[in-house]
Amino acid sequence: MKRTWRFWIALWAGKIITLGLLVTGKKGTTLPGKIANWIDPQIMRHLSLAYKDGIVMVTGTNGKTTSSNLLASILREAGRAFAFNQAGANLVTGITGALIQNTRWSGLAQASLALLEVDEATVPKFCEQVSPSLAIVTNFFRDQLDRYGELDTTVRMVRESLPKETVLVLNADDPLVAQFGTNHSRVVYYGVERTPDSVNESRETREARFCPLCGTELDYTLFHYGQLGIFNCLSCGFHRPEPETLAQDVRPEAGLLLFRVDVTQFEIALQGYYNLYNALAALSAARQLGINDGLIKKGLREFIPQAGRMERFHLPEGEITLTLVKNPTGFDQVIQTMLGIAKPLRILIGINDLAADGRDISWLWDVNFERLGTHEACIHQVICTGLRAEDIALRLKYAGVSEGKLVLEHTLTGALDLLQTNRASEEVAFILPTYTLLFPLREILENRQKNMSVSHLKAKERREGATG
Amino acid sequence: MKLNICHLYPDLLDLYGDRGNILALAARCRWRGIEPVIRQASLGEDLDFMGMDILFLGGGSDREQGLLVQDLMRRGDELRSAIENGLVVLSICGGYQMLGKFYQMAGGEKIQGLGILDVWTSAGAKRLIGNVVVELDEGVLNGNSKFRTLVGFENHSGKTFLGAGVKPLGKVLVGNGNNGDDGGEGVRYRNVFGTYLHGPLLPKNPHFADLLLELAILRRGLGTRLRELDDSLEELAHEAMVNRLLKQA
Repeated sequence: MKRTWRFWIALWAGKIITLGLLVTGKKGTTLPGKIANWIDPQIMRHLSLAYKDGIVMVTGTNGKTTSSNLLASILREAGRAFAFNQAGANLVTGITGALIQNTRWSGLAQASLALLEVDEATVPKFCEQVSPSLAIVTNFFRDQLDRYGELDTTVRMVRESLPKETVLVLNADDPLVAQFGTNHSRVVYYGVERTPDSVNESRETREARFCPLCGTELDYTLFHYGQLGIFNCLSCGFHRPEPETLAQDVRPEAGLLLFRVDVTQFEIALQGYYNLYNALAALSAARQLGINDGLIKKGLREFIPQAGRMERFHLPEGEITLTLVKNPTGFDQVIQTMLGIAKPLRILIGINDLAADGRDISWLWDVNFERLGTHEACIHQVICTGLRAEDIALRLKYAGVSEGKLVLEHTLTGALDLLQTNRASEEVAFILPTYTLLFPLREILENRQKNMSVSHLKAKERREGATG
Repeated sequence: MKLNICHLYPDLLDLYGDRGNILALAARCRWRGIEPVIRQASLGEDLDFMGMDILFLGGGSDREQGLLVQDLMRRGDELRSAIENGLVVLSICGGYQMLGKFYQMAGGEKIQGLGILDVWTSAGAKRLIGNVVVELDEGVLNGNSKFRTLVGFENHSGKTFLGAGVKPLGKVLVGNGNNGDDGGEGVRYRNVFGTYLHGPLLPKNPHFADLLLELAILRRGLGTRLRELDDSLEELAHEAMVNRLLKQA
């Protein structure tokens, strides 16, 4: 397809704004992308054609960012250059901005491959212009319903917009994802044989209780978590496909997750079985890109957890783990991880209801907080903050956490202070914010961490000065 | 004392945290020494509507709603006589629509409802989404209720209209309500309540939860008044949202 004058103006305008932002010390791919799209609404199409090794798209409800970052780590290990929308800027404007950053003024791409995280509701718009060579679909869970309408619609939109020639990398254990393979010629699956916590019966929220093809209730022989597991439709025969990439001997150990695929042992510095799936998605896609298991193993091991995803901060009063919460399944996994530590807990939960958090907070009632209620003795204090502090406190009351342990504090610094006040050495502290609270909290934590190391250094200098 | 609470089709109508309504009813019984007997019932199961105290029907996605109307039609007569006998029903969103006369699709096709409520719904062009504050009608609540408002979150594309014989639960102060046109929200017929409010509705509207419990106890002829609970957290949550929304409006 021929590039028009619109394309060049859009590209150059985008590059100038990117430069301008860089000079003024601001980061951002959204504004250049927005302006460029306004000038040339077809700019993604033109930009994408420059990647001769193709475009890898990552979509789904949970794990897009972590899966993309794990794959990026593998690609780096394999010495492959690639364009990447790293900041989680996964809407049309952010994707365009990232592509512009990786395109020269001459219109040539700086890398031959692009790795793009795409928001599930943006997939139709994206695929209208871009034909991905590889598309990873992680899972579908209830997430920000008010933004997308109902889950069925999202799944259908994604499914219908994926081009025929795209190779699909699918989560075999999620029926809503696995159904994509029934009508598509080029598909590879990844899945899990079993985890130490897989069960035969599950009462967790299950989005896909019913066969996505015929509507009959699915029969499960094993649940890994949520609706992910080994399923079978007794009516139409739809069943969990045999995964090419199958995780076996799965076990968590000392903050790591260990697993085996074929003859290779893998490990990731992440907790929670959802991260096992993220690793498998990256592993599967990397194999499709012709990278050998040895390099994949290194890439996965080198991965450093991203901002706000089980990220640890070291403060004078003790370590704090910060992790984003955004939907019931993700929150349930975090609760399982926290209780798995088997130590007394101090928890700060921050719930906002701005557009990026999801305006509807009723999902809090689909989270299995009752598990905190049944382990009430482990819960020493829960500090509730955010625009919906009262709602989360109320939810915990009805889950059986005694009111005496619930504290409302609307300022973030105040809430953090409370979390660390009179903290006993054996107590473990977690901060669980929704999206728009994550970055403000992270900034405060980083500053406090920095101040601590500065005062440590000063104290050390004073000591050395005294002896020297 | 025991109260039989039935959550109908929890596997199919389970959107938007509606199970929080059951959690709220159950907890508010327990805290008063009343034993809540929760029954979850799905397609094709035998049900004794007359023996129930409270029936809850939530909201679901369109695909799932179709399946249910047929199943409910089969039990329509028994449900109707229980309702005439004073059965307390809370129906939300999809459940509310199904108890009405029909749902008219965009193409003109009519899906029959149970016809228990004198309301009907037609598909709207846009989804009505957002926080809602409703000023309750004087007739709905007892005189000594703590609040005169309901607060919740709506998410529906169907627009519901009321027949001449029924009245809405109240007037919308913020949000759309039944149809976004006439300012009404929800409906009451005998002890049947229909509404578009999720949130879930009952935890943050404890006065409304207690109204349902009181009506159920009254029907049993037990006549005991409900013991007051410490609702300070519920009140904070209710007021925080009402104040914020009214200020924005």
